[in-house]
Amino acid sequence: MSIVKTENLSKVYNPDTVPVHALKDVTLSFEQGEFTSVVGPSGSGKTTLLNMIGGLDKPTSGSVEIDGFVITGLKDSKLIDFRLNNIGFVFQHYNLIPVFTAFENVSFIMLLQKRDKKELKQRAEELLKAVGLGDRMDAIPSKMSGGQQQRVAVARALASEPKFILADEPTANLDSEAAMNLLDIMEVMNRDKNITFIFSTHDQRVIDRARRVITMVDGAIYSDEVKEVALVNN
Amino acid sequence: MYTKLAWRNLWRNRKRTMITVSAIVFAVVASVFMQSMNRGSHEVMIDNMVRFHTGYIQLQDYRYEDESSLDNSFHYNHETEERIKRVHNRIGEVLPRIETFMLAGDDASIRGALVLGIDPDKEHAFNRIRDHLTEGSFFGLNDQTVVVSEGLARRLGLGVGDQLLLLGQGRFGMTASGLFEIAGLMQHPLRDMNNQTVYMALPAAQNLLSADEYVTAALIELTRENAAGTVAAALSEEFADDNLIAWTWPELIPELLQLLEFDLVGAYFMSGVLYLVIGFGFFGTILTMTLERMREFGVLLSVGMSRRRLASVVFLETLFISIIGVAAGVAAAWLIIYYFYLNPVQLTGDVAETVIEMGWDPVLPMSFAADQFYMQGIIVFLLAMVVFLFPLVKVFKLNILEAARR
Ligand SMILES: Nc1ncnc2c1ncn2[C@@H]1O[C@H](COP(=O)(O)OP(=O)(O)OP(=O)(O)O)[C@@H](O)[C@H]1O
Ligand SMILES: [Mg+2]
Repeated sequence: MSIVKTENLSKVYNPDTVPVHALKDVTLSFEQGEFTSVVGPSGSGKTTLLNMIGGLDKPTSGSVEIDGFVITGLKDSKLIDFRLNNIGFVFQHYNLIPVFTAFENVSFIMLLQKRDKKELKQRAEELLKAVGLGDRMDAIPSKMSGGQQQRVAVARALASEPKFILADEPTANLDSEAAMNLLDIMEVMNRDKNITFIFSTHDQRVIDRARRVITMVDGAIYSDEVKEVALVNN
Repeated sequence: MYTKLAWRNLWRNRKRTMITVSAIVFAVVASVFMQSMNRGSHEVMIDNMVRFHTGYIQLQDYRYEDESSLDNSFHYNHETEERIKRVHNRIGEVLPRIETFMLAGDDASIRGALVLGIDPDKEHAFNRIRDHLTEGSFFGLNDQTVVVSEGLARRLGLGVGDQLLLLGQGRFGMTASGLFEIAGLMQHPLRDMNNQTVYMALPAAQNLLSADEYVTAALIELTRENAAGTVAAALSEEFADDNLIAWTWPELIPELLQLLEFDLVGAYFMSGVLYLVIGFGFFGTILTMTLERMREFGVLLSVGMSRRRLASVVFLETLFISIIGVAAGVAAAWLIIYYFYLNPVQLTGDVAETVIEMGWDPVLPMSFAADQFYMQGIIVFLLAMVVFLFPLVKVFKLNILEAARR
């Protein structure tokens, strides 16, 4: 069964004034373990699509189904809860809690899930080690580089054990070395733990590392290719 | 961890937090200061009124209230005094007074006067009456001389050493008249009384009014002011068979209290304006503070923090700010008021003259009553909390995407 399915998904912004058709009839499905990049020119609807899938925005028509569960039309508070337990987010601007250390940022999510304190501590440490920040656990975001912050964001996204991770241009604010480093970590997580990643990007080198590339133009799917051998690239 | 989040958020932008806290401190200090000034002048007024006019409690014949005549005076001697003192352990001194209206003057002019027969030593112990003497000396308990308030003396054109004629009616219609030497002049602290009062020794007055061993009132001093109600009730009960009744001071001067109440309405209005200014000040700070953080709120909601959770964190922050601000404000207000309480502001110029004219000290009296500190503290605290509702409302209405796009 697909982990994410969209059915004739459309989004019109400002329907009453200057309508913008940001998404047009998008029907897609993503399988467990995918490493997929959504690409396309600026304004083509990448962010809009990810927001719909993440339940951050409501479609004008069509529906989103996650792991067999239709989230479209859910109440706001239900959606927040659903996101917490099912979806991990990494945004373009590192969205860490500025007053919390790396460790606290990661454990916070699990605290929201009301997990056991001890398990939470252990897991946060493991995740931060996994993203290569075992020695920076007590640093606050402003004392870390962009790449480090983005890695904390990945660790945070993973902490809640989501069904998949959405990342909207996660490397856009990083230099290429940090970007490749982040991609390495995402790839390892994907390969070893079978974590599903769906990310948008403009960066050709990031696109090259995706195993499936969905290209959007003008709010519609222009192409959808699966590159079975992309892993060779390293 | 939520508390930790709220607490650290507070100190993330130290400057902003300090500004908000200072605003609250200022608000508390300003409102306590205003209250204190208002209440200070009222306290002085009431204190003078109580000490020179009514006492905390007055024991009277129950008919005296309706008909303040010597006919409704009551028998009073040393035994009565002892009996009164036995009624309640909060009773301090007992001051007998005989009081009536007479004509006062000399062969040239004559005016109405309030003649008060008092025990000068007890009276002085209670209200330091001798300190108000401006000329001459005070009479002793067995003297036949009088002390005249300045306003009356001026109107009559009399001074120390002159003879004062008192003319009126004693008990049961007996004619009362006598010539008394003026031993001293005094500035009476109550303006109305400064224009009409003649003090004389109690025995001399009783003699003049054919009222030996009779008084119109016994003023009761209390060792604790707030015991007035219970003490009065106990006295009324003890002396019910003697047709006596005890009044507490608020019952004796309802007009003054009403006047002060009226004066306070103005003060409350001013406070209201102050609160409004304070409230808008807070609102400005909070508005920018909240708008700055929309993005942060948006992110927290995106990653799965419930609105209720987020709201409680924001609420905690405001609670911390308010508590810190109010606590610091009350402390600062306490220090400042304490300073002015010990070193009252001296009035100068015209204002001072007017005030002296009215028989008061030319200082700005400040009240140091404890309740104004916590009352104003609580009001400002509530005000802050109301204003701080704004970010909470924002949290509940926030559109995640719009917030995160900023
Ligand atoms: N809140 C909004 N109101 C109105 N129009 C919007 C809104 N959000 C997005 N749009 C419009 O919808 C279209 C798709 O925007 P979207 O952000 O999804 O593009 P994108 O592919 O993510 O672009 P970029 O690469 O620049 O991030 C654009 O034309 C954009 O202007
Ligand atoms: Mg975008």
